[in-house]
Amino acid sequence: MNNFSVIGKPIAMIDAAGKTTGAGRYADDFKLPGMLVGKILHSPYPHARIRSIDTSHAKALDGVVAVVTGEDAPNPYGILPVGHDETALAVGKVRYVGDHVACVAAISEEIAERALELIDVDYEPLPAYFDPEESMKAEADLIHENRLHNIEKDYHHVFGDPEKGFAEADYVHEARYIANEVTHAAMEPHCTLANFELDPHTGTLGRLTVWSSTQVPYYLQHKLSLVLEMPMSQIRVIKPLVGGGFGGKSEIIPLEIIAAVAARAAKAPVKITYTREEVFWAHRGRPRTIIDLKTGVKNDGRVTSVACKVVQDGGAYCSYGVVTILYSGALLGALYDIPNIRYDGYRVLTNKPACGAMRGHGTVNVRFAFESQMDEIAVKLNLDPAAVRRVNLLKPPTVTVNGLRVLSYGLPECIDQVITRSAWQERKGKLGRGRGLGMACSHYVSGAANSIIRSDMPHSTVNIKIDRDGGVVAYTGASEIGQGSDTMTAQIVAEVLGCDLSRVRVIAADTDLTPIDLGSYSSRVTFMAGNAALRAAEEVRKNIISAAAKRMDCAPEDVIMRKDRVYKRGSIAADHDTGAAEVLGEKDAARGRVDGQILRGSVLQTRKEEGAKEHMSFEEAVVSAIDFHGALTGTGSYAPPMEARGGKHKGAGVGPSPAYSYSAQVAEVSVDEETGEVTVHKIWAAHDCGRALNPVAVEGQVIGSVWMGLGQALEEEMVWKDGLLMNPGLLEYRSPSSTESPDIECIIVESVDPEGPFGAKEAGEGSLAATIPAISNAIYDAVGVRLREVPFTPERILAALRVKKGMKKIEMTASVDPTAPAKFREHGGSLWFRGKGPSRHPLDPARQPAHAGGEQ
Amino acid sequence: MSLPSFQLLRPKSLDEAVAMLARHGGDVKIVAGGTDLLPSMKQKLFTPPFVLDLRGVRELYGIRSAPGDGVEIGALTTLSVIENSVLIRNDYQVLHEAVKTVASPVLRNMGTIGGNICLDTRCLWYNQSLLWRQSCGFCLKKDGDLCHVAPGGKFCWATFSGDTPPALLCLGAEIEIAGPDGVRRTPLSEFYVNDGIVRLSLAPHEIVTRVFLPESAARWRGSYQKLRVRGSIDYPLAGVAVALKMNSGRVDDARIAITAVNPAPHLLKDADVRLIGMVPNEEVAEAIGELAASTAKPLTTSALTPEYRREMVRVFAKRAVLACAN
Amino acid sequence: MLIIEGFKMKKELIELRVNGRTHELAIEPSKLLLDVLRQDLDLTGSKRACDDSSCGACTVQIDGVPVLSCTLLAASCEGQEITTVEGVADHGSLAALQKAYGDFGGSQCGFCTPGFMMTVKWLLANNPDPTEDEIRNALSSNLCRCTGYSQMYQAIRAAIDAERKGMNEELVEAK
Repeated sequence: MNNFSVIGKPIAMIDAAGKTTGAGRYADDFKLPGMLVGKILHSPYPHARIRSIDTSHAKALDGVVAVVTGEDAPNPYGILPVGHDETALAVGKVRYVGDHVACVAAISEEIAERALELIDVDYEPLPAYFDPEESMKAEADLIHENRLHNIEKDYHHVFGDPEKGFAEADYVHEARYIANEVTHAAMEPHCTLANFELDPHTGTLGRLTVWSSTQVPYYLQHKLSLVLEMPMSQIRVIKPLVGGGFGGKSEIIPLEIIAAVAARAAKAPVKITYTREEVFWAHRGRPRTIIDLKTGVKNDGRVTSVACKVVQDGGAYCSYGVVTILYSGALLGALYDIPNIRYDGYRVLTNKPACGAMRGHGTVNVRFAFESQMDEIAVKLNLDPAAVRRVNLLKPPTVTVNGLRVLSYGLPECIDQVITRSAWQERKGKLGRGRGLGMACSHYVSGAANSIIRSDMPHSTVNIKIDRDGGVVAYTGASEIGQGSDTMTAQIVAEVLGCDLSRVRVIAADTDLTPIDLGSYSSRVTFMAGNAALRAAEEVRKNIISAAAKRMDCAPEDVIMRKDRVYKRGSIAADHDTGAAEVLGEKDAARGRVDGQILRGSVLQTRKEEGAKEHMSFEEAVVSAIDFHGALTGTGSYAPPMEARGGKHKGAGVGPSPAYSYSAQVAEVSVDEETGEVTVHKIWAAHDCGRALNPVAVEGQVIGSVWMGLGQALEEEMVWKDGLLMNPGLLEYRSPSSTESPDIECIIVESVDPEGPFGAKEAGEGSLAATIPAISNAIYDAVGVRLREVPFTPERILAALRVKKGMKKIEMTASVDPTAPAKFREHGGSLWFRGKGPSRHPLDPARQPAHAGGEQ
Repeated sequence: MSLPSFQLLRPKSLDEAVAMLARHGGDVKIVAGGTDLLPSMKQKLFTPPFVLDLRGVRELYGIRSAPGDGVEIGALTTLSVIENSVLIRNDYQVLHEAVKTVASPVLRNMGTIGGNICLDTRCLWYNQSLLWRQSCGFCLKKDGDLCHVAPGGKFCWATFSGDTPPALLCLGAEIEIAGPDGVRRTPLSEFYVNDGIVRLSLAPHEIVTRVFLPESAARWRGSYQKLRVRGSIDYPLAGVAVALKMNSGRVDDARIAITAVNPAPHLLKDADVRLIGMVPNEEVAEAIGELAASTAKPLTTSALTPEYRREMVRVFAKRAVLACAN
Repeated sequence: MLIIEGFKMKKELIELRVNGRTHELAIEPSKLLLDVLRQDLDLTGSKRACDDSSCGACTVQIDGVPVLSCTLLAASCEGQEITTVEGVADHGSLAALQKAYGDFGGSQCGFCTPGFMMTVKWLLANNPDPTEDEIRNALSSNLCRCTGYSQMYQAIRAAIDAERKGMNEELVEAK
């Protein structure tokens, strides 16, 4: 049993009150004097050259202060050093419907919107590519000139001897799986407010401050510096509350740069908030993925070899694409013991919004394929799906065939837990027609062991300052985005210092104030920023203890800091509470002085007269330490150990992590065989998070992940018609409502990682991937149809059911799953190909503008 | 997204509203709950010089019943009020069932019965932003000359997507319409035009003011089955309303209507002929399902394929008949 | 400077009652209630998230009934009592519901939370002891992307219990 005071306790987020009262401020809640509204003009073409842009009419409109185009900020950038293929606003060419072309800064939203209609862009349409497998055949009119065949990147990895493995197999299973495109749909639309200050020495525009809805303030600072050609030190990025990210704010989104470019041109603060439609165009979600998977097994289900080909429809820019396609292959490892792997991954460019990182980055769709295939194999070999997983478990500590180091491994217990809780053995296959159980597992990194820009510098740093007021301030660059990173930091610091949680104030994600942290993505914050906080707090603790040891006349090892007090070992019982009054003395209490007002003249003076003490209040110890050492500060940083950084092959940098989380799930569903509708009744999700620093937060993360997986499994899908997104809104892109969201039981498994802070690993992403195959496998258990295309919409299920029953085929699905008609159905559209694009209606009566009536 | 500019008219009485409409004719859009019109105005589907806000017209609120003479519902009565009306729940079950499936609870606090009846037809190629529509060259229904759903034709297939009208059709409801020439009353079944653009037999300066539910349809058994992806918020992708007058296990009279699969909600022809005198068992219900499916003409105007939606009309019609029987 | 005929409507003077205070405002007739709350009154608790009236993040109460402030003209709300999330905390302390949402993880990123406060408050005002289904149904007007709604149920149950015990007693116990 542990004996923590703050760690492991269910604690409300330290910023919860601001969220429930509406007082908390998100980027769009800020305003500055003289602030302008920025609105962006987007491309109506999927692929076109820009011949010219005339902004003169827009600039002439009363209330418009500035209009900027690609020429105003032509430097390319991108989140990956190998993928600097974006510009804030299009330079010479647009690559998807919704690409950013120009921005108006005006005194009101209405005027800015009206001015957009006055910008005249002359486009020359180019052939466009919408299907990745077609796009790979392209010879001319490439989306980016330096990407042959529109292939952003392809990797071909061989680990072990896959052919030998297949030869040794008793059974080989092979199938194609497809997962359609989904997006983060965070509730907060992206927003950036940018403001330049005048430099007192030069008299011209000087420092830039940006408030932005971002998961990665330091990357934003870096890219702003590249594009604006300003030193990073002159740019301050502040991350206010962020209304959900899920990866959609984990790289630089065009508006973040455009706002600064517009502010520079307008010489006034500019705020841009995306409309929901623009959020869909900014996208960076999970790509449509085609997976050809082949698995060889022994008769007991033991995997001998895996061959996997993945094609990702990446959209028009690189974004995180190279990392995504690498994760898809690398994280075939580290869940099960797979001796031989062949992986062929293709990240392909198409004329659609760029895909990027989304919760479970790179792993989710491949995991769906793999866990479905395990279920298919179990059926074929007449094995219990749970047994197939158990026979393939890793034996840690180990390094996988593709170079991933695994230390803590709670997967066996996760499987045991969900098997027990769901009464799997008793109920599987016995729930009657139309109802079934399915299981699946997944895992995820606790941060990438190698940063995007490879270096040995720390990935996270935390500074702590304590002053004589007894307040503890932790400065962290980690980005709170609702997952609880600020609370995690406060908890770790309070635990190490043995002080009350309320003493700890967290200042986070402000590049002027806080030390560099790479950001909130790849589930890295608890592990990395948490370790940095731990180390910073330990440094401070050491100084307090050495001073306290002197003061109490004992060895430093005998000083205990706990429950807001500092005392000599054995002096008082640990559970004894000493109130402030006891420390302050009756005189102070009578004057109404409370804990936290200890300054010179009170405690300090009495202390000098008293001689050696047995115990002190936290403040008293702090004051002693400042007396003894001078200023009391601590710094801690974290960089992953060399042993965890992976192999040497090309692309080996992606996949390695200091620790992996594990998840096992069982889903119970029923299927209406007349309508194809699936009802998920319950999901049992066991997640190994190392140690749950805050069980309420861990449960929230796990349940949220499972639920998001459920959305992808059943309802969510970006529907495309030749590069036109048919559902760019929350009404038609269906994120589940409460009515169809099932009961999700979260079971926390604590494997206590040897390197995690207090043993903690990630909790925010790893559970998502298992949900989709768990549901698919349950559908199979219920009605005997295997769904190999996500989402499992009622039409897909009904079509499969009818095929199975030998009923008359109804052409019900418009896609490429094995039961669907071969040809993609034509529903009109395709106007660009017919030379009938948007220019057909230059004079839409509804937006007849703007013929300038008056005089200047 | 901002709304286009307009002048707001806020009448305090029906007479004032009618006079304002007469003055400004086709330049006015009428807003009641706003849940249909305002999102469309943000997308610049409508940019009227005047918007007439009916919220101040108190006489159009509320549910009134005259014993033996049916029920009268003011056009501004919110869907929540109808949902919570004991009278409606007891006597006009099919309407109660339909109204509680509309959108979400909060949207039902805003949306009105008049608005639901006059709902604009919907299509994935139409309910989009100005830029989106521009990027495909607009469509027949708004600013363009081509239908993306059926590119060869000159007919608009935008789908009527209201939930309550099929229920009201099953009840033989009538509506009252006020205009400059006075008040007229028409059966709801004659109000709809099966054309995604024309939609309604309603002149620009007319207002739907009241709905009448006849006493003759009171206490009929009713069921409304709605196809949607989410359990809330969504518009119907198909809907079937069934009302049966039962007499010791046999059908005395019957009406069945479908929605969200055609440009107008439709009463099924001959549903009564097929059902009167029958015991509504599985076999009878199946036949009604086939009838309903043959009336449905869904195209790719919304999520889920037309074939699937038509198949669901069949299944739901069958289920609704059986639900009424039990 | 160009002046465009009919492009900008004249502002009108209106009076809005918000959280028990009356504000006199000059606004354009096309202005949405949400924009007036956020921009003119600096009540930024109500959020804009969807543009198509589907998400509920902007929910406020009008005469005690939750509605979407992004789908209402501000000028249409004259003479009615508007309550925003800023009006939920009573007498400077967290309402039981707000406390419970914090304690039980009902709020993660928090962007949807103000909207949920307004709908759940309405639910509990009309139905002090709702069933599981009634809670689920009431929450179905608002989208949340973080929680999967599960922890909200716990929070609402806890809030109901806390209300029953009395908030003060609860606070004493917590100490």
